[in-house]
This record gives sequence, structure tokens and C-alpha cells, in this order.
Amino acid sequence: MTLRLLQGGFDRRAWMFLAVLFTAALVVSVLSLTTQPGHPLHVPTYVVSLVGKYLCYALLALSVDLVWGFCGVLSLGHAAFFSLGGYAMGMYLMRQIGTRGVYGDPVLPDFMVFLNYKELPWFWYGFDQFWFAALMVVAVPGVLAFVFGWFAFRSRVTGVYLSIITQALTFALMLAFFRNDMGFGGNNGLTDFKDILGFDVQAGSTRAGLLMASAVALAFGFMICKALVNSKFGKVLIAVRDAESRTRFLGYRPENYKLLVWTLSACMAGVAGALYVPQVGIINPSEFTPANSIEVVIWVAVGGRGTLVGAAVGAVLVNLGKTVFTGVLPEFWLFALGGLFIAVTLFLPKGIVGTWDDLMARRRAARDAGDGELRGTAPQEAD
Amino acid sequence: MARTIHSLVLFLALAWLIPTGPARAADDSLQARIDALGTGGFADTAKQIQALAATGDDRVVPALEALLAGGLYVRQSDKKVFITKKAEGGFALIDPLTGRTAGTADTFAVKKIRVNNRLRRELKAALGGLTLLSKDPAVRLKAAAAVFKSQDPDALSALDAAILKETDDRVREAMRQARAAVQLKSDVPEADKVAALKVIEERGDRDALSVALAAAAQTEGAVKAAAEATAKSIRQTLELWSAAQNVWYGLSLGSVLLLAAIGLAITFGVMGVINMAHGEMVMIGAYVTFMVQEVIRTSLPGLFDYSLLIAVPLAFLVAGAVGMAIERGIIRFLYGRPLETLLATWGLSLVLQQTVRTIFGPTNREVGAPEFMSGAFEVGHLTVTYNRLWIIVFALAVLFALMAVLKKTPLGLQMRAVTQNRRMAGAMGIRTSWVDAVTFGLGSGIAGIAGVALSQIDNVSPNLGQSYIIDSFMVVVFGGVGNLWGTLVGAMTLGVANKFLEPYAGAVLGKVLVLVFIILFIQKRPRGLFALKGRAIET
Amino acid sequence: MKTYFRGAAAAIALTAAAMTASVAQAADTIKVGILHSLSGTMAISETTLKDVMLMLIEEQNKKGGLLGKKLEAVVVDPASNWPLFAEKARELIEVKKVDVVFGCWTSVSRKSVLPVFEELNSVLFYPVQYEGEESQKNVFYTGAAPNQQAIPAVDYLAKQEGVKRWVLAGTDYVYPRTTNKILETYLKAKGVAASDIMINYTPFGHSDWQTIVADIKKFGSAGKKTAVVSTINGDANVPFYKELANQGIKAEDIPVVAFSVGEEELAGLDTAPLVGHLAAWNYFMSASTPENAAFIKQWKTFIKNPKRVTNDPMEAHYIGFNMWVKAVEIAGTTAPDAVIDSIVGVTVPNLTGGVSAMMPNHHITKPVLIGEIQANGQFETVSSTPGLVPGDAWSDFLPGSKDLIADWRKPLACGNFNVKTGKCGGQGS
Repeated sequence: MTLRLLQGGFDRRAWMFLAVLFTAALVVSVLSLTTQPGHPLHVPTYVVSLVGKYLCYALLALSVDLVWGFCGVLSLGHAAFFSLGGYAMGMYLMRQIGTRGVYGDPVLPDFMVFLNYKELPWFWYGFDQFWFAALMVVAVPGVLAFVFGWFAFRSRVTGVYLSIITQALTFALMLAFFRNDMGFGGNNGLTDFKDILGFDVQAGSTRAGLLMASAVALAFGFMICKALVNSKFGKVLIAVRDAESRTRFLGYRPENYKLLVWTLSACMAGVAGALYVPQVGIINPSEFTPANSIEVVIWVAVGGRGTLVGAAVGAVLVNLGKTVFTGVLPEFWLFALGGLFIAVTLFLPKGIVGTWDDLMARRRAARDAGDGELRGTAPQEAD
Repeated sequence: MARTIHSLVLFLALAWLIPTGPARAADDSLQARIDALGTGGFADTAKQIQALAATGDDRVVPALEALLAGGLYVRQSDKKVFITKKAEGGFALIDPLTGRTAGTADTFAVKKIRVNNRLRRELKAALGGLTLLSKDPAVRLKAAAAVFKSQDPDALSALDAAILKETDDRVREAMRQARAAVQLKSDVPEADKVAALKVIEERGDRDALSVALAAAAQTEGAVKAAAEATAKSIRQTLELWSAAQNVWYGLSLGSVLLLAAIGLAITFGVMGVINMAHGEMVMIGAYVTFMVQEVIRTSLPGLFDYSLLIAVPLAFLVAGAVGMAIERGIIRFLYGRPLETLLATWGLSLVLQQTVRTIFGPTNREVGAPEFMSGAFEVGHLTVTYNRLWIIVFALAVLFALMAVLKKTPLGLQMRAVTQNRRMAGAMGIRTSWVDAVTFGLGSGIAGIAGVALSQIDNVSPNLGQSYIIDSFMVVVFGGVGNLWGTLVGAMTLGVANKFLEPYAGAVLGKVLVLVFIILFIQKRPRGLFALKGRAIET
Repeated sequence: MKTYFRGAAAAIALTAAAMTASVAQAADTIKVGILHSLSGTMAISETTLKDVMLMLIEEQNKKGGLLGKKLEAVVVDPASNWPLFAEKARELIEVKKVDVVFGCWTSVSRKSVLPVFEELNSVLFYPVQYEGEESQKNVFYTGAAPNQQAIPAVDYLAKQEGVKRWVLAGTDYVYPRTTNKILETYLKAKGVAASDIMINYTPFGHSDWQTIVADIKKFGSAGKKTAVVSTINGDANVPFYKELANQGIKAEDIPVVAFSVGEEELAGLDTAPLVGHLAAWNYFMSASTPENAAFIKQWKTFIKNPKRVTNDPMEAHYIGFNMWVKAVEIAGTTAPDAVIDSIVGVTVPNLTGGVSAMMPNHHITKPVLIGEIQANGQFETVSSTPGLVPGDAWSDFLPGSKDLIADWRKPLACGNFNVKTGKCGGQGS
């Protein structure tokens, strides 16, 4: 498949993905804004935010697929980058509350008032400006990923070891953010947001706007990933994934390739987190839990590792399932979810998109076999 | 008001009884005083207890003991007080003075005399004073300890008498200390108090420190200075001991980590399965313990102290069987794709958790501690709790037994052969798929055993496994995958490091620092503490 | 490639179908939303509350329902995930069209759903003791505020046990932080020196208590009577009490008074070594009133398990549900605004023999009971306030809130009215 992508560049599937993405986002936002409740086509704001959340998750899954699917780095710590981006945005939103908090303090967020903070901690400076917060959304996860990756890739920490220390990273951050003394609101996190860039976060139009922003971010992230993996750089990445030592012997520096992709991926996760927070209305340390990171990996696996589109599809499908089942089967949805993960790993090892590709390839092979020529095999994926 | 009337009645009763003979009168007055326990609020009961203690008559001991244990009741009809035992349809009544049975009463005919903490303290002090001359040295020792705590000046004469008669050295020592503590509260001359402080300093533990500090706060002049010096000296000694205490806490935490991680060292370390359902195997072990205790409680109460011993093999079998089923049903299709085992076992852990939640409910289940795992003893000034001690012993025993299995048995040989070179092992006639199943079963079974031990210190709830899974992975990775010694050293190092950081950094930051340390350590040694060497590892 | 379109279309259709399916149902029932975690870390406490709500609703339906309609429970699982709480709250109100929601346990879950209830103007009954410092138009707080739990407990210890030295131990989150802050100010105002107060915070689910229990022992050996005020949350309690018992800390030496340990938590413990440790609540299962006996019987029958216990948050739901029923009857409608107006002043019997009233600040009046743990896993009341204590939304012992009051009656209708500046909206500036 990768081969085919390289030949075709921005292939039909990519265009298709973008088209579906924007159609869905537009339909949902337009319907929610133009129709009244009671209208048969009315979409409640609940659905708008929900779809927005799915798209943020899709972007997060995309970032994981970039490092795992194309670079062989299984990150169990992407929730950390996602949450850091979310916190950066949350801090901006907190500063926007101003005197509308329950204590009415013009500068200090509510939680600081009752923890007796006298003044704003230094790391909260600048977050009243959107541009600064937006910069931090990318910079904080990026720098953390860069430093972490710099050490880890240079020391040639690979495979399971790398996965486990990424998990340690997010776990450590979670514990740290749970501390009220950190100045990030402890367990309660940041919540009760009022407005973003002057727009009321509760308003239907703002929600629709955020949904569109998420769609744009996802599309943008997708195009970057696509361009990256289609380039020569992407070829080397895949070489690193499939045979790191050999690539090194050929004169490449795998650690640099990994580091760049890893940092980029963290930035994407940060953006996903930043868009997620205003739509769900809260960010708290439980977003850092290693379980969340593992779940992202599962979305990617369900959709199809190393397919990019699959990551997004997996994220949306699994979360859609979660939404439906937690409402319909509140007591048994974990069975369904757990069963799904097992079934996908056992029966669809290449995920939905990967299996689809296999099916197509086999069909083509069968057709081509008539010509007495065998082309195009299933994509080879190695761990 | 009620109390005054009551004392009046008491007085009248006494006055009326005196002519009939002193012995009888004393009996009746005791009876009246005991009956008085059943009247008034907590404050009144406290006064009655003091009055009973002041009689110095050890015949009131059974009544006071019953009161302490919550077994003293008032009969509603005549306000008489009885010791009760549960009986068919109510209670069997026992006369508190004579110990003779006095008929029965149904549940609503009697009312329990309630005690609170203050009364419990009063009762223990009173019982201490009254049982200093008991025949049983253990009771006398307890009595001396109770007097030490209560520092009741009235007990001084009783103590003096008891010390003279005492034959047991340990008990005498305890009494001497109790006497010193009492002296500090009484109005003995200053010189005696200073001498008493020396005795307190000899004792040198936390209780002694408490007594010395209290004395320093309540006295003046020379005694105050001496008390402060004593407190300082005790404190210095205790500081030294606290380092030892930290090591002990660290080892104990380490042994918990070790127990949680050993099973993973097999399934993950040896087989390479990223077993996210490992925690759930621990949970299954804990629930097996709960079931065993439940059966024992309902049908064989006598065996309760052996419940853990019975649970260990059962937990091993149940968790092992579940593990083998998992291997046969899921894992075996995923060999060579270690990262995908992570996904499948994660899904499995969700299913297992929810299954247990559905069967046993989401709330915590009670797993009791058998006698040999309750309480603590002192080594010097180090408090060693039995449950922690046994867990350390148990963890090491499991580890060494596992090592023996791997090194000394044909099964272990086959396991190592299969994990090192599957095809070669197959060619040598080993049934590799069977060995895989057994190895995974072994790892899971050991996780189940760990659950038996962890049920003693943690919640038995469906979330039990989740709280250990990350720590277990850290231990195995830090120690070096595939090396049991590494797991041991890793667990102990992390445990001790955690406990040394905790007093300075707090529990949370201490743990964060340990995690950062692991991350940095892996940079330095990317394959853990005890890395396996060789080219096979690279693939 | 068409399949992608088809897939996406199907997915959207599925979402829409799932979202709207329940809307289509007949509207001749009154829907009661239940928003308690049934999975994840909080399931341990919250599942019971879901069951108690189902029982109360069933009972009400047996009595003929409400306003001539049957009540219908709508249960969802927010899975101990805080953003999911907000999402599910929105689903309940906007999609499932429930008339009232009973739910949440942790403070963060309540904080997470607050904006949703405000925006969609619905009603939430919150049944758990909490840190106060909040009063919201759409939320009714049927659990204890700090003045209904913490302060009477400390008073009891100081008076009855002569405690002079205090350890304030809690889990590191907002409820313990706030409660300890209030207690610290309160104790200092009573003349307790700063050196006689030790404050300690531990993470959620903390399981290794050796060091902290040893620290408590150390702090307690200063020759003054010491007590521990525990705001340790949920799961961490069992290992904490096990360690206390093993290190031989008896209630007579260093009593522990807990605000988050009820009958449910004790059910997972052997309580024999813990006899005498205390808890402060507004309800104990051991309360001997006919209402309570009936409630316990009903609960055991409903849950089909004679061993299950009842606890304080269950009583809070009992009170809250009955208040809501009464308010709806008074208003003659389930419309949120009408119910919010009519519920203030509503009184219903609680299970401890008193009559609780909903106050204008959306908190209720409750008795404060101090109980000692017994060997059978129950509490025995050793002290209770003479009358009912009204819940105080804004603590008088915190600098940021001592001037604030809440009164949702018109014309004030304000949750944070500043009596100094005479303005609604916090401290102002």
C-alpha cells in the first residue's frame, strides 16, 4: 500500500477522506444552526460537540499512527501531549473568565482564590493572550517530546522499553498534575469556561465553529502526515520501522528521523487536546492516565495501523460505539468494548482499512492472475 | 439531678445494709455500683467506673471487661445490669459478680450500655489498676501497660504492692516504668520525679517520649529541665531508628511490588507477551481468597486461620487455569506480534473487570486477616507488623520457588528452550504449544498467588489489578526483561527509593521522582538493570 | 471507494438514529435521569446510588406515579470519566429529554456538569458531602456542606475527648483541601497553635500507608491528646485502616474521625481492631427510627441481598427524591423553573427522625451525627446535634467566602451575593 501511495502521491482515498470529513462537519454544523428543535432534521448541540470531540480524537489517533505506523515507535504516552495541549488551552480559557468566576476575582481563577494564592504563578503569565496560548499548545508538548526523544532515541531505547517509559512519562505527569500545589487546579482541573476569543463557548455557533476548526485541524494534520510519508523522508522512516539497524548501516541517522516525527506527532496531539478542551468543557489530570494512551493505540489498531485514514476511522468508530453503548447498555458496554478489541486483534490484525486493502488487493490479484501475472501483494508490516 | 438522687438511693441502701454483716454489705454495694453503670450518660458512667476502680475489688473485673467488649446490658424491667451472651431469641444473662447464669431475656427486654472512647480509656485504666495482682503474668503485663498509659496517681500504692510481689522480670520492669510514669503525674518529691525520668529514658520509645514531653509541659524547675533532657535524648535515639524504619518500609513496599511483578516477569519477561490483563489475574487471586474465607466463615469457622494457606493453591489453580485459557484462546494466535498482545490483553482486562463487577458487585469485599498476620512486634524501636513481615517472606519464597522451577525441573528446561529458540526446541521433540500454555498458566497462577497476599493490605475490588499494573511493568523493565534477579533487585530498589523520598518530597512527588528516575535510568541502560546479552535480543 | 461514502453515511445515520431514537418515544412518562458511574474507579461507590434511585422510582410508581404519569428511569454510564459526565448530562437533558437528573459523586464530576445544567436549564440533585463554596441555581445539594460534618466533629473531639493536637489527613483534591482549610482556620480561632496541626495529603488510591501512619504516631507522641481528622477518599481508606490496626493505633490513643467512611466502606474491612474510631455523617444505618427500618428492609428486598448496607449518600438521594416529588406536586409540572421555585421550603422526613427542609441556598437542613465504629461494621451514634443544622454554601472560615451568601428566592436570586458590597457576583473588586 505504501508503495502505491508513493506512486500516486495524494491519492483518491485521501481526497475522499477530506471530502467526507468536511461534508460531515458542514452538514452537522449547518443543520444545528439553521433548524429549530423539533424539526426532523434538527441536530442538537450535543451532537455537534460530540462530533467535534470525535474529530479531536481522530487527530490524536492520526498523530499516534504517524509514529507507530510509519516509524515503529509505539507510544503509550500520547495522552500526555494531548493533555498538555489541553491544559495550555484551558489556561487561556480560565484567564478569559475574568470577574465572572464565583469569587469574582479579576485575575485569579476560582481554585486559586480558595487555595489562598495571593498572585498568579509565573507559569500562568501570558495565557491571557490567545496567540501565546496557541503557541504554547504546540510548544509545550513539542519541547517535552523533543527532550524526551533526544535522550531516548540517542540511547537507542526501542520497542517495549520505549513504550513502557512513555507510559512512565504520562503516569508521572498525571501524578504531578493531581497535586493541588502544582497550580493547575489539581483533580478538579480547569473548568467552567465562559468564552473563547470573545465568543461564548456555550453558544451553538461557537460550537459549530469549534467543530469546523477541528475538521480543519484534522485535515491539515492529515495532509502534513500524507505529504511526509509520501516524501523521500517517509521512505527512510519506513526503512527505520522495518529494519532500524540496516538503515543505520546504510548511513542514515535513524534517531534524527525518529526525533523529528516524534516531535511533530506530539505537536499534533497538543493541537488535538487544545481543540478538545473547549468542546468538552473540562480538562483535568485524568486525561493523562496511561489507559487513555493505550486506548488511542487501540483506535489506530482498529482502524488500521500505518494507513492514516484508518486511524481517523478507528477513532471515530470506537468512540461512536462507546457513546452509543454507555447509553444503551450502561452495565455491559465494557464487555462489548473489550470484546471488540480482542476480536479486532485476532480477526482483523490489519484493522478495518488494512483488511479492506487486502481484500481489494486479493481481488485485483485474482483478476490479474487471469493475465498470468502476479502483482501487488498485501502490505508488509513488521514490528 | 438524677445522679444526686441515685447517690442518695445508693447511700440509703448502704446504710440499710450495714447491720447485716460487712461481707454481705460489700457485696450489695458492689452490686449497686455495677447496676449504677446502666444509668445516666457517658459522663455518669465514667464516674461509676472510677468508683468501681476505687474499690480495688477485683470481683468487678468481669463486669468491666464485659462493658469494654460491649457485652454489658441493663434489664429494662428492674434496671439490673447483667453480662450477656447471645442465645436463642435474645440473650443469656449472667450475674456480673457471681458469674452464675440468671435466666434469659429477649432482645428488647435489655439495653446495651454504650461506651465511647473516653469510657474505653477509663475502663482500661481501671482494669489495669485492678489486675496488677492477677495470677496470669500476661494479664499483669497488660495491666502495667494500661497504668503506664493512664498515669493514674491512685494506682501508685497498688503498683508499689505489685512490684514487691512480682516474680516475673519483664512484668516487674513494665511495672517499674508504669510507676515512674505515674510518679510524674503525682505529687511525689522532685528528686523522685527526676529519678522516674531516668526510668522513662531507659524505656526510650514513642510512649516514653510522650510521657516525658507531657511532664515537661506540666512541671517547673529541675523536673522540667530533666524532662526536656530526657525527651531530647529519646528523640535522638528515635531519629536513628527511623532510618532503619524507612529501610524496613522500603523493603516491605518492595516486596509488594515484587509479588505483583513476579507473574509478569514470566508472561512478559520470559514469553514477551505484553500482558495488560496481568493485574486482573492478581484480582482473581484476591477474589479466590475472598471466596475461600466466605465458605470457611459460613461452614467451617474453625479453619479461619488457615484460610490463606488454603487460598494459595486454589488461587494458583484458578488464575493459572484462566491464564491457560487465555493463552489457548487468544495469545497463541499472536506470537511474534508482541505489541498486538497488548491490545488484546487490554480488551481482555476490561472484560475480566466487568465480569467480576457483575458477579461480585462493584463494592469492596472483606478479606479478614488470620491471627498470625495481625498486629505488630518491636525490634528495638522498630515496629514490625506481622502482615508486612509475612508478605516479605512470602514474596521471597514465591520468587525462589519459581527460580527453582525454571532452573531445576524438566518443565523449566523446556520453557527456557522454547522461549530461547522455538523452532529448535520443536525439533528436539518439545511440544512447544503445550509449553507456551503452561508457561502462561504459571505466570498467571503466580499473579493469582500475589493476589492472596495483596488482599491482606489492599482493597478487594474489581479495580485491584489496575492499581498494580503500571508499577509491575516498571519493575520488570527496570530490572531487565527476562531476569528474575533483576525483578527482585528492581522491586526492592524502587521500594526503598520510594520510602526514602516520601518523608522529604511527600507521597506523590516521591513517586513522580521515582518514575523520572526510571525514565533516566532506561536511557543509561536501555535494557534494564540486568540486561540479557546476545544477538538474539536485538530482533 | 464508494464504500467509504456509504460507511460514513451509515455512521452518521447510526449516530443520528441513536441520538433521536429515545426522543421518539412516547412522552407520557416523566423521565428521571441517573448519572452515576457504573464502571471505572468510582463504580464502587456510585453503583449503589443508581440502585437506590431505581428503587425509589419503582416505589413511587407503585404509589401511582407522579402527576398521574409513571416515572421512567434513564440510566447512563459516565464511566468515572469527567468529560464524559458533561457529555452524558447533555445527552440526558437534550436527547433523552429527562425532567430531572440525580447523579455525580466526585466534586470534579459535578464541576464538569455544572455548565451543562446551567446552559440547558435542568435540575440536578447531588447527594454527596462536598466542600461547599458553591451554590448554583440548577443544582440541589442534598449531601453535607462542611459545617454539617466537619465542624461538629471537631467540636466533639475537642470537648469529649480533650483533643489538643490535630492531624488533618486527606486525599489531595478539592474537598479535603477546602475542609482542611476551614478546619485549620476554625482550630486556630479556638486557640490551637500552628505547631499542633499537621496537614498531610496523599494521592488517590494511595495504598502504602506505612510512612504516614508512622508519622501520625510520631506526631501523637508529644504528650498531648492527638486525633486524626481524615478526609481520605474512597479506596485509600481500606489500606489506611488496615495499617492503623496493624501498627496498633487504638481509638483510645489516637482516634480517627472520618468524613468519607461510611457503612459501604466498612463492609470491605474487618472492623474489630477499629472499634472506637469515628465518623461524622448525617445518617447512620443504625439509626433506630421506623422510617429507617422500612427503608433498610425495602433496600434489602430490592437488591436481593440481606447483607447490603445503607449509607449517608443513599439517604441524601432518598431525601432529594422525595423533595423533588413534593416540589413537582406543588408546581403541578416538572418544568425546571417551576420546580426550582417551588422546592425551596419543601420539607420531607429524613431517616433519622427529623424533617429536612430545602433552603433558599439549595442546601438542606440535616442533623449531624458522630458515630463510633463497632465490631459489626456499623456505627453507634455517640453524639448528635440537638436540632438540624442548615447547610452553609459559603464557609465563614474562608477569607474568600465569608461575606458571601446564596439565596435563590426572588428578587435576590443569587448564588454568590456579597453582603459587604451588596452585589451579586463574588468578592467583586
